[in-house]
Amino acid sequence: MSPEVLVYPFLFITIFFESFLLVTFLSQPARTCRLTTTVRSFPKVAVIVPCWNEETTIAGTVESLLSLDYPQEKLSLVLVNDGSADGTAAVFERFSAHPQITAIHKENGGKFSAMNAGIEHTADAELVGFLDADSFVAPDALREIVAAFEESDVAAVTASMSIHQPRTLLQRMQYAEYSLSITLRHVLASINGLYVTPGPFSFYRRSVFTELGLFKHAHLAEDMEMAMRIQRAGRRIGNAIRARVYTKGPPTFKRLLKQRIRWTTGFLRNLLFDYRDLIGNRNNAVLGMLILPLGLAAIVGGISLFIQAIVLGIDRALHALSLVRTVPLSYTFSWHQVTWFSFPLTMTILLGAMLMIGTLAWMAVGKRLSKTPGTLAFNVVIYLLLYGIVTPIWLLYSVSDVVRGAHTTWR
Amino acid sequence: MSLFVRNTLIALLIAVAITGTVAYAITYLNNARIAELSAIEDQLSIDTLSLDTQFSLLEAAPCESVASSTTLTDKLADLGSRLSVAENQLGSDNAQVIRLKEQYSLLEIRDYLITKKLAAACGAKPTTVLYFYSNAGDCADCDKAGYALSYLRDTYPSLRVYSFDYNLDLGALRTFIAVTKVKRDLPAFIINGRPYYGFTSLADLEKQFPKGVLSTSTPKF
Repeated sequence: MSPEVLVYPFLFITIFFESFLLVTFLSQPARTCRLTTTVRSFPKVAVIVPCWNEETTIAGTVESLLSLDYPQEKLSLVLVNDGSADGTAAVFERFSAHPQITAIHKENGGKFSAMNAGIEHTADAELVGFLDADSFVAPDALREIVAAFEESDVAAVTASMSIHQPRTLLQRMQYAEYSLSITLRHVLASINGLYVTPGPFSFYRRSVFTELGLFKHAHLAEDMEMAMRIQRAGRRIGNAIRARVYTKGPPTFKRLLKQRIRWTTGFLRNLLFDYRDLIGNRNNAVLGMLILPLGLAAIVGGISLFIQAIVLGIDRALHALSLVRTVPLSYTFSWHQVTWFSFPLTMTILLGAMLMIGTLAWMAVGKRLSKTPGTLAFNVVIYLLLYGIVTPIWLLYSVSDVVRGAHTTWR
Repeated sequence: MSLFVRNTLIALLIAVAITGTVAYAITYLNNARIAELSAIEDQLSIDTLSLDTQFSLLEAAPCESVASSTTLTDKLADLGSRLSVAENQLGSDNAQVIRLKEQYSLLEIRDYLITKKLAAACGAKPTTVLYFYSNAGDCADCDKAGYALSYLRDTYPSLRVYSFDYNLDLGALRTFIAVTKVKRDLPAFIINGRPYYGFTSLADLEKQFPKGVLSTSTPKF
């Protein structure tokens, strides 16, 4: 049996998922979500910014929030200094006199504790949102978010994240990846299939905290845990695709690895240890029967395909090397005519190419619908070159950490 | 029916349709490859028979009036390369591939015999290499030997290289192996009638050729 056969199930599942995305994208709920939004009322909104050693970025974050196109008397900001050891407290001082801002200083207790401390100071807000201190928002983002709360059963709303001014190759890769995530979040939200309300600019109705409780440590993935809690309670998580929020993606491999291991172990631990009942749950079939099982399958598939590719790649590379060393190099690198007959077209190559085109199309859709600035073309090339290599590395580390019960750290 | 169930079913249909279409396209392409090989083999078969007949008819005629078999050898080499591609794509145990290989081996043997007859009649001294290989996993150096021979054939076009799968179950090939007395010590070469076994390096293989054969023409690489 050709080793290629082992790839077929994963290819089929991915084709099925992309087809599901397409059908759902064209369905009525997603089409409605994409309609131009108008805010009919302006509820009181509070935005909490948890900070831990963010002296270099926090000022930009706060200034972008103060520039939001929203009535000032309806918008308040709560800055929470979670025991920073750098100059974060000094930056807070610059904003402390601002009428819209409340600054809190507390001992370091982790991001979830900072978020909870902020919630305590938002008693009069109908909607409570969060923004990571390395992110900033477009002026119309809050209006888009508020409009997405029009339907009463929506408990939380997520925004469209993108990488701000990507410079390194890894940031460029993330730019393309985030463009794809914008589409995924938009489509899945239309059928209530989200299992994470990301730190950058996700909003909640106050009732979420009063009825379902505050944030938990949740294996350093409090945003996933809260989303799963909302889903378990049978509430909805929406998405405002034109609510743009920009974040600074990790510029180095070491920092990216750290971030992704935290995300992936958080997903695995929350799902497998605390929310296993969501898998296969028919009450929310989208999440229970499709998204969560596929999320687990993606991890298994990513690792097994990577190992298979490594083993096959080394084997073929050694074989090719032994052949090349047999004859003069000039012969190997001379022009050998390629005809349709000898063109190496296989099921895997053809299906893989189709999936790749589909993925690139979804990236372009995400960027276009969210009106995210920047150039996708070059970043897509970097994505194609790097993503398949770096992703399995953090998947392997994450699975290993979860199996061994290793402690995951924030930075 | 809920939107989720409806979309899942439609997506499943699309996925099956896409996968099925791709599988059909690949099968169609492989069949086209087989058809192309069959067509080339048919043409070669006619050409070989024609040359053989021509040679018999004009046995007493001057050598110049008998068409050379060189062009047939070139076509055979091209067919061999294509067969190798087909074997990689469809697998060495594919019935059609085996049938084509049998036919190819017969053509090679016929061309080899004609070349020898022409050489004897016309006093030519072609350099022929009979190469025996196995792709049953019992010949670690066969790939390297095959690649080295491809290089030699491309570099010195006057070389006539004939490749045979030692494991092919074909009466004519078994007889040919018996006549040439090739042992099952693969890769095996018979260079102008002299046996040589194993492959260590291109230089060692080149030493087995008669003196001057590989230096009479200008290498292309």
